[in-house]
Amino acid sequence: MSQVKSNKKFKWALDFNPKNKSQTSEILSPPGYSQSTSVSNAESSKDTDSNLLLIKKLWDVALGPLKQVPMNLFIMYMAGNSISIFPIMMVGMLIVRPVKALFSTQGTFKMVEGTQAAGQKFVYIIGNIVNILLALYKCQSMGLLPTHSSDWLAFEEPILKAEHIGGGFSML
Amino acid sequence: MKWFIIFFSLINLSVCIYEDQIGKFDWRQTYVGRIKFAQFDTVSTAKKIIVATEENVLAALHLKTGEVVWRHVFENASPGNIHLLHVGEKITTVTGDNPMNQSPTLSATGVLMWEWTLMLQDDSRADFSEWWVQNGMLVHMLPVFNSHLEVTMYNVMSGSNRGATSKLPAIWNNEGQVICICVLTAPYYTCVSGEFGSQILVSMDVTANAIQMISKPLSNIIEGAVGNLRALDGNSVIPGFIVDDKKIVLIKENDFNVLNVKVEDTLASASIADGARGPLVLQIWTNYAKGYQLIAHTLSGQLIPEIHSPDSFLDIPEPELLAVTCARDQLACRLLINAADDAVHLVQQGGVTLWSREESLANIKSVEFVDLPVSDADAALESEFDQKEGSVWWSFVRRLQSQYQQLSAAVERLRSGEVLDRGSASLHRDYFNLHRIMVLVTEAGKIFGMDNLSGSLVWRLYLPTLSGARTILLRRAARHPHTAMITIVGTHTDTGNGYIVTLDPITGRMVPEHTVTLDVGIMQCMTLQETGDDQLRALIVLDEDEAVQVYPPSAASLVHNVHMYVADQDTGRVRGYAIRYNGREAVAERTWSMSLGGSGPARIVAMSSRSRLERVRSPGRALADRSVLYKYSNPNMLLFVVEKPDPTHKEVVTAVVVDAVSGAVVGASSHRRARALPLAVHADNCFAYLYRSDKHRRVEIATMELYEGKDRWSPAGEPFSSSASWRTPVVERQAYILPALPSAAAFTITERSLTDRHVLLGLSSGGVVEVPWSLVEARRGAAGEESVLPYLPELPLTADRVLSYNLTLHRLAALHTAPAGLESTSLMLATGLDLFYTRVAPSRTFDLLKDDFDYYLITIVLAALVLATYGTKYLASRKTLKMAWK
Repeated sequence: MSQVKSNKKFKWALDFNPKNKSQTSEILSPPGYSQSTSVSNAESSKDTDSNLLLIKKLWDVALGPLKQVPMNLFIMYMAGNSISIFPIMMVGMLIVRPVKALFSTQGTFKMVEGTQAAGQKFVYIIGNIVNILLALYKCQSMGLLPTHSSDWLAFEEPILKAEHIGGGFSML
Repeated sequence: MKWFIIFFSLINLSVCIYEDQIGKFDWRQTYVGRIKFAQFDTVSTAKKIIVATEENVLAALHLKTGEVVWRHVFENASPGNIHLLHVGEKITTVTGDNPMNQSPTLSATGVLMWEWTLMLQDDSRADFSEWWVQNGMLVHMLPVFNSHLEVTMYNVMSGSNRGATSKLPAIWNNEGQVICICVLTAPYYTCVSGEFGSQILVSMDVTANAIQMISKPLSNIIEGAVGNLRALDGNSVIPGFIVDDKKIVLIKENDFNVLNVKVEDTLASASIADGARGPLVLQIWTNYAKGYQLIAHTLSGQLIPEIHSPDSFLDIPEPELLAVTCARDQLACRLLINAADDAVHLVQQGGVTLWSREESLANIKSVEFVDLPVSDADAALESEFDQKEGSVWWSFVRRLQSQYQQLSAAVERLRSGEVLDRGSASLHRDYFNLHRIMVLVTEAGKIFGMDNLSGSLVWRLYLPTLSGARTILLRRAARHPHTAMITIVGTHTDTGNGYIVTLDPITGRMVPEHTVTLDVGIMQCMTLQETGDDQLRALIVLDEDEAVQVYPPSAASLVHNVHMYVADQDTGRVRGYAIRYNGREAVAERTWSMSLGGSGPARIVAMSSRSRLERVRSPGRALADRSVLYKYSNPNMLLFVVEKPDPTHKEVVTAVVVDAVSGAVVGASSHRRARALPLAVHADNCFAYLYRSDKHRRVEIATMELYEGKDRWSPAGEPFSSSASWRTPVVERQAYILPALPSAAAFTITERSLTDRHVLLGLSSGGVVEVPWSLVEARRGAAGEESVLPYLPELPLTADRVLSYNLTLHRLAALHTAPAGLESTSLMLATGLDLFYTRVAPSRTFDLLKDDFDYYLITIVLAALVLATYGTKYLASRKTLKMAWK
């Protein structure tokens, strides 16, 4: 914003040149050309253009994770459910990437300002969460998540005795 | 595919040892049993003693060391009874009871040369048969009391009869009522005949062609004699006997020859041996004050002072001469002596014991593995952390003190040049608690403390009045500063009442204040779980009047939630008692009673309860669908194997799982047309028992497992109470064919029961085989299960699972297991005629480096790596310097 302001100042400073002023005033503007409006118009259109571009770009970024979902699904399908080094690496990547992205959300959306920033961030986070859920689903289908009771068997309390018994065959 | 799975699973399970590991973790000791007959083998070049024992073993013992040179184990019961041992050029024995007697002849090297069978016609009086060998003929004499003697002679070589059995008239021979009045001193048969007061001593040479009778009034020998005859022991060279434990009478030249030698003790054992100066009369006995005594006379009654024994306090209870050999050129004798505690000693005349064999170890009743006490340094360390009070500075000072102690101990050890060994020299607990003392209680009443690593005897204690010691209870582990204590509960020989002996298992010393002779019989006994102030577990005794006695009596207030059960083996009745403390004393209240055979007669063949040493850590097992199948880990379960007759199926074997607290039947299974083997094992929720299927003529092992299901019944952490549980578990059953006949069975026990569980089977063929529970588990073959093997009825017993490798352990009677300090390892002692000890690692030693681990190699590699790192660092820096100058 500050840059835009300084630009305006600069333009305004050009107008102080008296010679130029007289020269330009002598030459008529072409028909249909209004200097004052054109300047303001051009400035505003330029501003909206770059903003639109930025927003578009940022929407691209924000939608990126969601766009990855079909690809990830394909990778997951190809990797299979067996536990070996490549599927594990892929699943690891699937989990680590969105988590990393989530942590760097603030950096990614540093420049974003405006009405859509919140929505973009939201979509971006949603996309990453969807990716994480996909990866977790993959882990689940590979059996890597401790969701079953047998996974917690080692932590269960051993059985204690309430009564004590003794005896055997009669010694008589 | 199925076979492949099994094949690969077997590769995983194989736990055999390598040839160089033989004897590394295991040892074997061979015994022969209480010796019945013995003779010095003077004919062959290698000097041996040939012995025949009550365990039906014929063996040769090395004269110098007492080791078994060779050994033949005959059949177990009466078919193997040895009646005669004759050592000449060859060794001849008569074994077996009527109607099949066998007479094998062996050469001096123990090779069977020939064997023939003889059948006796009249087997009603066969118990009185007498056998001996004379002039190459085997003589069999059968007295028919008050009538005649039947004498039959056989050729030893061929077994051919000399002809008819000769019947010698002998009206004078009679069966004594209380005392023995007829003795055979081959070839003479002597009896006391006639009315009391006018008895006549009659003797006859039964092998002579012409009947010759010797008779003499008994009053001529001893005035007022009772007429108790006792033959001379120790293969006496001249036939003779002792009358009334007072006079020695020899039969020489067809006449009674009363020796002018005083019989020194009523229990003295006497024999005549050939010595340098003619025949010697040797007598041995034990004097309570002076110990073992030996005295020798000539036939004329002259004392030979050279042959004697000093007051050595050599402790041989009730010595009996088995065999005597004396040198021909000098006055020196060697005596083989049998003692009342089944030990056998070879003693020289000077009182020097050449060797001793503890033959009572062939009959072990019960075994307990006892932890050794911690060493002084460890005890100091323990006490250092025990003290909770005190500031940081005090604990720092204590730390310094104990470190100084450790340092000084290490310096002391280095100075004395003693190598740090975990051997038998130091009776201290080792790091993995593998070193134990095994307390062995034998049938003869002798108790031993044995080092489990070396098999050497640490202490021995003979209690002649202890018999039927069935129970052995550990009352206290060796916790600093208390010493360990172990209690043996048995019956007193004289009264048949209870006899409680308490020992220190490390030293073998009796603890007199805890040794009690009761005036009632003991029905059952147990120890309390809670300990008193002195860390001693109280002993609860249920006597024959169903009254409870607590030792020490002050511990009665600790009794709560204690239950006892008593099973009667022959009737199949089981009773349960609740022991309560009513404010004054502990009382027993009968809570349940059941008859395992139903209404008819039944016999409990085997019984098993959970081992006191077992601690179950895992409450369930994971299934293939990743759910948990919870085990029914009731700690109060008992397995009874009952055999009862059945009108349609001859015999039915029923296995019943009973809750000992409530008396509820938890599970059962039955097998028709089968006979139970007295083997049953139980651990956690697993049960196994063995039976012989008469229908299929094979031995089968049946297993049961109890499960709660997929949900845990009791909330986690709540102690299991039988009286509170009302649900019945799921019982899984399975049976497998066993291609062997086991005579002993046990489960491996580990510290926390995390390691796989194996069934150890002692086979009648002489091997100890371990069978993984996964091969016999009751869930084997369950549908859709990946973790269990497919069901196959045949159980493979592969050679690599034989723990005793190529050793043959004769007459395996029992297997005893105990957990080691290492979770992977279980200690095992096999008893029987032999003792065999080894370590078992059911899941292999996952917590221990392999014993062939190359420490040197890894040290060298590490050192080389460090050196190489520094070397390359230096080289690299030089290279960069050179590069910089370029």
